[in-house]
Amino acid sequence: MQRRHLLAAGLGAGVLATPGILRAQGRGPVIGVSWSNFQEERWKTDEAAIQAAIRAAGGTYLSADAQSSPAKQLTDIESLMARGVKALIVLAQDAQAIRPGVERAVNEGVAVVGYDRLIEIPQAFYLTFDNVEVGRMMARSVLAAKPEGNYVFIKGSGADPNANFLFQGSMEILKPHIDAGRIRNVGEAFTDGWLPANAQRNMEQFLTRNNNRVDAVIAANDGTAGGAIAALAAQGMAGSVPVSGQDADRAALNRVALGTQTVSIWKDARELGRTAAEVAIRLAGGARLAEIPNSQQWSQGAGRPTMTARFLTPVPVTRDNLAVVIDAGWAPRASICQGVPAGRAPACG
Amino acid sequence: MSVATGGAPAAARPTFRALEIDPRLLGMLVALGVIWVGFDLLSGGAFLTPRNLWNLSVQTSSIAVMACGMVLVIVTRNIDLSVGAILGVTGMLIGVLQARLLPEILGLEHPATWMIAVTAAIVIGATIGLFQGALIAYLAIPSFIVTLGGLLIWRGAAWWVTQGQTVAPMDGRFRPLGGGIDGAIGATASWIIGGLACAAILTALFATRARRVRFGFHVRPAWAEAVIAVLACGAVIGAVLIANAYPLPVGIVRRLAEAQGIAWPPGGIFIAHGLAVPVLIAIGVGIAMTVLATRTRFGRYVFAIGGNPEAAELSGVNTRRTLMLVFGLMGALCGIAACISTARLNAATNAAGSLDELYVIAAAVIGGTSLAGGAGTIAGAMLGALVMQSLQSGMVLLGVDAPLQNIVVGLVLVSAVWADTVYRRGIK
Amino acid sequence: MRTPLVEMRDISIAFGGIKAVDAVTVDLHAGEVVALLGHNGAGKSTLIKVLSGAYRADAGEIRVRGEAADIFTPRDAKKYGIETIYQTLALADNVDAAANIFLGRELVTRWGTLDDVAMESEARKVMGRLNPHFRRFKEPVRALSGGQRQSVAIARAIHFDAKILIMDEPTAALGPAETKQVGDLVKQLKTQGIGIFLISHDIHDVFDLADRISVMKNGRLVGSARCTDLTKDEALGMIIMGKCPPGAVPGPGANAA
Repeated sequence: MQRRHLLAAGLGAGVLATPGILRAQGRGPVIGVSWSNFQEERWKTDEAAIQAAIRAAGGTYLSADAQSSPAKQLTDIESLMARGVKALIVLAQDAQAIRPGVERAVNEGVAVVGYDRLIEIPQAFYLTFDNVEVGRMMARSVLAAKPEGNYVFIKGSGADPNANFLFQGSMEILKPHIDAGRIRNVGEAFTDGWLPANAQRNMEQFLTRNNNRVDAVIAANDGTAGGAIAALAAQGMAGSVPVSGQDADRAALNRVALGTQTVSIWKDARELGRTAAEVAIRLAGGARLAEIPNSQQWSQGAGRPTMTARFLTPVPVTRDNLAVVIDAGWAPRASICQGVPAGRAPACG
Repeated sequence: MSVATGGAPAAARPTFRALEIDPRLLGMLVALGVIWVGFDLLSGGAFLTPRNLWNLSVQTSSIAVMACGMVLVIVTRNIDLSVGAILGVTGMLIGVLQARLLPEILGLEHPATWMIAVTAAIVIGATIGLFQGALIAYLAIPSFIVTLGGLLIWRGAAWWVTQGQTVAPMDGRFRPLGGGIDGAIGATASWIIGGLACAAILTALFATRARRVRFGFHVRPAWAEAVIAVLACGAVIGAVLIANAYPLPVGIVRRLAEAQGIAWPPGGIFIAHGLAVPVLIAIGVGIAMTVLATRTRFGRYVFAIGGNPEAAELSGVNTRRTLMLVFGLMGALCGIAACISTARLNAATNAAGSLDELYVIAAAVIGGTSLAGGAGTIAGAMLGALVMQSLQSGMVLLGVDAPLQNIVVGLVLVSAVWADTVYRRGIK
Repeated sequence: MRTPLVEMRDISIAFGGIKAVDAVTVDLHAGEVVALLGHNGAGKSTLIKVLSGAYRADAGEIRVRGEAADIFTPRDAKKYGIETIYQTLALADNVDAAANIFLGRELVTRWGTLDDVAMESEARKVMGRLNPHFRRFKEPVRALSGGQRQSVAIARAIHFDAKILIMDEPTAALGPAETKQVGDLVKQLKTQGIGIFLISHDIHDVFDLADRISVMKNGRLVGSARCTDLTKDEALGMIIMGKCPPGAVPGPGANAA
């Protein structure tokens, strides 16, 4: 964060009545981004995309990192407003805890984009990848590989609402098949803290309980998929049992190329970042929420408010279309294809 | 045996006492037995199967290895909150080393890769431990603070190594350290190891007895000595039998048979898993640490420091150096545990070892290590780790979800310490 | 005059600006018992902890058999044959008698492992001399009585060929019979040529045992005297009022009056 901005924040806090005081910096609008934490690599990718898009529109990018603290995020939002932002992109650390800050922003006419995580305030825009759709995609890919048999569900952390959206999406696809008796749910468990080691232990116990009669695994992300596949490998079943995942992390893409993982749903963070910046700039320019292209009314949140939202469509990456992530510069061919025998995956030759 | 406690004839006491088995250890074994049988009944016989017990032993290994070191740390009246984070950063470093750096230098799947990785893990872990130990021993910063800082620092460092990316897969010769099919040594090797272990137990019992007789000291009655020998060897043979009763999965055996050009008989072929490498590592560490704790000067000093730090210093013990080494040892064991858990998952993740510090401390405490310092056994801590893992795995087997598992483990931890307190008060 | 076994010259040590020991000089010859007397807080224990290596003096010099000795840690002191029985006994409560007696100087087998059997055997011998009825070799010393614990602490000090023995309030926790036992032990050790510093706040405990006394008050030396050159009452006067009688050599702490 530039020192000049810090100084300005101090000034702004004192002379709050005149937002836009710092507008002189760029021709376009000032867009603020409140990050929950930079502990995960992916937010860096998002930031670069947001920054690039704002710069392209001639705007100014301001940011603050809450370092995983909802309390700090509240002050961050206030100081960003004091610095005269016209639109805020908020990656909420705790959507409930930062509500007052977002409400104040909305009341003062600052547009808010809830980034990736839902903030249940109807005046805020909600932009995310469609997590329910991610769940559906996982189920479709696995179902295509194994249309009937015993399914195990390695769910995400019980504390993360996304884990439920994912499971809900998978079940939408699988329900008819379960009802028809073609598919049996032989085990499901949340994975505490999304830890791969916990996923591995759960998978081992499911294999034990079913005496290895497991035909497919719906794992909620690539980390838990890695754990499940390690457990399958111990029974010589890795590669013959389809396993889903998401995030397109390098280790998972390598497994996809090797054939031990069936699919990794890729949510291109750059697309999310770019779209967020575009939405924010439009809103800052005075557009109403409903005027955002491809937006829809959505009320599936826990509190059932009617939100204006846009859901980006993720891409399922399988062995056949690995080139997509390589061409997009998401991951280098060398790491994806490490140890992959020739002819196994088209992208690896 | 204490004669001073009164004139009650020794024969009137339960003959059981002649065995001189630590009643606490026995209590834990009984508790473990109750848990196992309970889960077996509730799960309709799915718990006490060779397969589940084999899995359980592998799942326990990493925590058990670290718990051995934690006993010494707690015995010296200290604590180490950073073990999970040290495991995390060490795992990431050796993951990058064997999956990215060494393949470039030596080529993929080089025979030396795994040895370099394991050595690196132990050295990195020990270095971190010694550094923290030096701060604790020489700068007199409380271990709680140093290792709390360490928890944050090393967990952050684990993320930093690859900016959070998961590194996989691991080297093929490294993977057996984590168990799985490659990490099972097979029936013949298991019998050889079991046989050697039995021979070692008998030799040790005999040598100790001979030595005590030579000095004219009290010895157990011969029958008690025999009972102990039978029990100990029985446990070893039982473990081998169980490991050898767990067959390799049919698919793998069939592939092996095809590769060897053997015709597939109608009844299939039985190939046993045998003992798992990580379990052997954990037992090896346990034995080495027990020897270190009870049979060496270093171990004696560790306990003396725990009993009375001032007295140890006044007796000429270099307490600071000893304390630093205890933390160094703890770090080295974290390195070994990092090898086991990284190999087992076949991936290095920056979250590896999260919350392990709590499980390791809990294992040591359930195993009878006193947080007041001065008391604790390696065997107890390893059993403690097994008790906790049994609870967790058993509950997954029953379909109990994660939050309830944590509640149960928490309750067991508190009850175990309470039972221990009551027991201690009883002997005073 | 013979070279003393130990000389402590002008020893000073301060804690947080307060001089606990201020330029104190004492000496001790082989086969001699010197009693260090003074009230609680007079600085006796502090002075003696400098000799045993627990504290490091700010100023002053220690000479053993006429040669300057560098004593910075308890390990250094033991190298000079200086053994100490602390008032607190300094026992590790959680291990047994043998482990305490050999703490820091364990016997090892040829593989470098502890030789517990040999240590127990030696412990039985030395304890047999001090406390013939002692049998509780397998129990942690926490379980022992005050007298038994005292025996363990003494055993630890005398087992390793001590040349200089420091006994800090050795009889404070003991009954009359045990106190007599300690007295007999002191006499016996004396005949073996061991020099003994006997520290006490109570003149009656030590007057009959000591050859000489040195009295401290408020961190300073009141004076030293042969026990034959003064009466118990005069010694009491030194302790209580800092008054040096004619039979004594006055120190810097002697009351001018």
